[in-house]
Amino acid sequence: MTPVVSLAGVQLNRGGRPILRNVHLTAEAGEVVALMGLSGSGKTTLLRLLARLEVPDAGEVVAPPAGLVFQFHFLFEHLSALDNVCLALVHVHRRPRAEAEARARRLLEELGVGHRADALPRHLSGGEAQRVAIARALAVDPPVLLLDEPTASLDPARRADLAGALRRLAQSGRTLILTSHDDDFVRAVATRLLVLADGVVVESGDPGTVLTAPVHEATRRLLRQERVE
Amino acid sequence: MPNHWLSPLVALLLAASPAAAQAPLRWGADAEGGAPLVEADPRDPSRMVGFDVEIAELIARALGRSPQFVQVAFTSLDQSALRGDFDIGLGGIEDSPARRQTLGVSVPYFEFREVLTVRESDRSRYHSLASLRGTRVATLGGTLAYDLLRRAEQTEGLTAVSYDDDVHPYDDLALGRVDAVLLDHILAERAVGRTKGLVIQPEELAVGHYVVVTAPGQAALLAAVNRVLLAAMADGRLEQIFRRWKVWNDDQTALHERVRAQGMSAVGGSLLATAAATPVRGREALVRFTPQLLRAAVVTLVLSCAAMGLAVLLGVLIATGRVYGGRLMRGALLVYVEVVRGTPVLLQLFLMYYGFAGVVRLPAFVAALLGLALNYAAYESEIYRSALQAIPQGQLDAARMLGFSRWQTLRLIRGPQALRLALAPMTNDFVALLKDSSLVSVLTVVELTKQTQIMATNIGSWLVPGLACGTLYLLMSLPLSHLARRLETRWKLEGA
Repeated sequence: MTPVVSLAGVQLNRGGRPILRNVHLTAEAGEVVALMGLSGSGKTTLLRLLARLEVPDAGEVVAPPAGLVFQFHFLFEHLSALDNVCLALVHVHRRPRAEAEARARRLLEELGVGHRADALPRHLSGGEAQRVAIARALAVDPPVLLLDEPTASLDPARRADLAGALRRLAQSGRTLILTSHDDDFVRAVATRLLVLADGVVVESGDPGTVLTAPVHEATRRLLRQERVE
Repeated sequence: MPNHWLSPLVALLLAASPAAAQAPLRWGADAEGGAPLVEADPRDPSRMVGFDVEIAELIARALGRSPQFVQVAFTSLDQSALRGDFDIGLGGIEDSPARRQTLGVSVPYFEFREVLTVRESDRSRYHSLASLRGTRVATLGGTLAYDLLRRAEQTEGLTAVSYDDDVHPYDDLALGRVDAVLLDHILAERAVGRTKGLVIQPEELAVGHYVVVTAPGQAALLAAVNRVLLAAMADGRLEQIFRRWKVWNDDQTALHERVRAQGMSAVGGSLLATAAATPVRGREALVRFTPQLLRAAVVTLVLSCAAMGLAVLLGVLIATGRVYGGRLMRGALLVYVEVVRGTPVLLQLFLMYYGFAGVVRLPAFVAALLGLALNYAAYESEIYRSALQAIPQGQLDAARMLGFSRWQTLRLIRGPQALRLALAPMTNDFVALLKDSSLVSVLTVVELTKQTQIMATNIGSWLVPGLACGTLYLLMSLPLSHLARRLETRWKLEGA
C-alpha cells in the first residue's frame, strides 16, 4: 500500500534552535498513529507541519489536505456549534445551505452533541467543544485527521467514547495522527506509536509493545511521569 | 551698612508708586480680524494697533492709568463685560437697545454704514437685500448686520450665515461659498483692499454707531469715559486718530457735532428703531428659542450620525489595511493615524474648510462632516485594529485548515468577531463625537452649541440657554451610553 502521509528527514528550527531533527514518518489509510513525548518534545509542531501550518527547514513532507482538531478547539466564538460545522461546507465547498446543515447535524449526532447544535461555543463544556471541533474538522471529509491532545478536556468515560469514535473513523479508511499524554487511550486507539524526545523520534512500534517494554530512557521517564499524574 | 546702597532703590520705588497705585485700565476687545479697529500689528504681533487701540490709550491716559489689553471673542464681549473681565470694552461694539439695557454704554464716537459687498461679476445682480433672495449672505454674529439679515430671512427669503470674525466672511465670498457680505463699511473697505474681485454696493442698508461699554453700575467710570470722548471730539484728537486710520469722513463731523450738542440722545431715533427688538428673558426666551434649539439639535444629531457612520467605515478600512496591507500601505496608514490623532480637530477643520479651499471648495456641512469623519476614523481604526488582533491566532489557523481564503477568514470569522469587540468602545466614541460636533460651528454650521450661543447673545444670559442645551445633549447621549453598555454585556467574548 502507498502511504497517505510521508515525512522524510524533516528538520525544523525556531529562533536558531532545532525543534524537530531528522524525523521520518509514514502512515497508510486506516492507520492511527500516536505521538507521545514530554512537553516541548515537538509533538504539536509535528502535527502543525503535517497540517501545513509550518514549513520545514529541510526534508520532505507529503500530506494531503488534513483536518486539524486543536487542543484548545478554537471554535469560531460568534457562531453556533452547527454554524461552526457548516461554515466551510457552505463557503469553501459551495454546498447548498440545507445539505450542509443536514451533514453537520448528522456529524454532531454521531459525536453525541446533536442536542447542543444551537449553543454558542462559550456555553459548551470542554468535552462538548472538543467534539464540535472534531465535527468541524470532519465536515469537509478530509482523508487525514490530525488531533492535538484530544483527551485533554475529557473525563475517563468520555475518553472511551472518543476512542471508539476514532477507531470507527480509521476503519472507514481515514488516516489519524494524534498526540496524547494518556497511555491507556493510546493503547486503546493507536495502531502505531512514536515517542519523541527533544525533536527526535527515539522509539516507535506497536503501542502495546512500546508501552509495556520501553527501550529508550525517554519513554520510561514519560511513563513514570504519566503514573504520577 | 547695606542701607547705603539700598536707600536709592527704595526712593526709586517710592517715586514710581503713585503710578503703580493706580490699577491699569483693562480694556477688552477681539483682535481676530478686527482691522482697522483692533488687530495684532503684522510687524509685531505682540502689539495691538488700530483706531480703537488709540482711543483706549487716549481714555486710559486721560484717567491717569496705563492701558492693558484683554482678548475677548467678539460675540462674548457683552457677557465678559457683565462678568467684569475688563473695565471698558470697545472695538466695533455697536449701540443697541439691548446693550443700553444690560450694560453701561458711552456716547457714540463713530458712525458706520451697513453695506453689501459682492463679487465683481455679481455687481449688477446683487445690489439690495431683495435681490439676494435664495442666496447665502454672510456677516459677523451678534451684530446689527446679523439682526438685519435674520429679519431679511423672513422678508426676503435669503439665508443668513453667521461668522465669529470679520475676515472669513469675505474669504468665503471670494471663494463662492456665500454670495454677499453685509457688514460695517470700514470692514468692507478693508476687505476690498485685501481681496481682489470684490466690490462694495453704494446703497446703505442701515446706520450704526460704535460705543464704549462698561459693566452695569459703573456710573463714575462711564461718566469719565464720556468726558474724555467729548473732550477729544472738541479738540480734534479723535479726528486725528480717525484720519490716521483713513476712516474720517463727513458723517463723523456731523456725528461729533450732534453728540456734543445732545449727548446720548443724539442717536436715539432711527437707529434704535431699526435695531433688534428688546431682548426677551426667562420662560418667554425659552419658548421663542425652543424650536430653533430643536432644529439645531437635529443638525447635531444628523451630522454626528453621518460622521460616525463614515468614520467607522473608514476606520474598518484603515485597520484592515494596517493588519493585512503591505509595508508601504501599513506605513502610510500609520502616518495618517498618528498625524490625525496628534493634531487638534479644530485645526483640521480649519484646514479642510479654508486651507484646502484653493484645491477643493467644500460646502460648510460637507466639510464639517468630512472633517469629523476623517478625524474619528483614526480613532475608530485603532479600536478596530486592536479588536482584529484580539481574535486568537488559533481561530485563524483553524480557518486556514478548513480551506478559507484570507479574505473569507476576514469577512466571515475575524471581522464579525472584531466588530462585536469594537462596538462598545465605538459607541463610547460616538458620545464623544456628539459633543465634538460643536466645533464645526467655526465653519458656519449652526448646530446645537452655536444656536445656544446665538440665543445667549440675544437674551444676554447663558443660564437658561446653557441648561436647555445641556439637557438636549444629554437626551441624545444617554441612550447611546446605555446602548454601549448593553452591547458590551451582550457581545462580551469569553477569553477574548
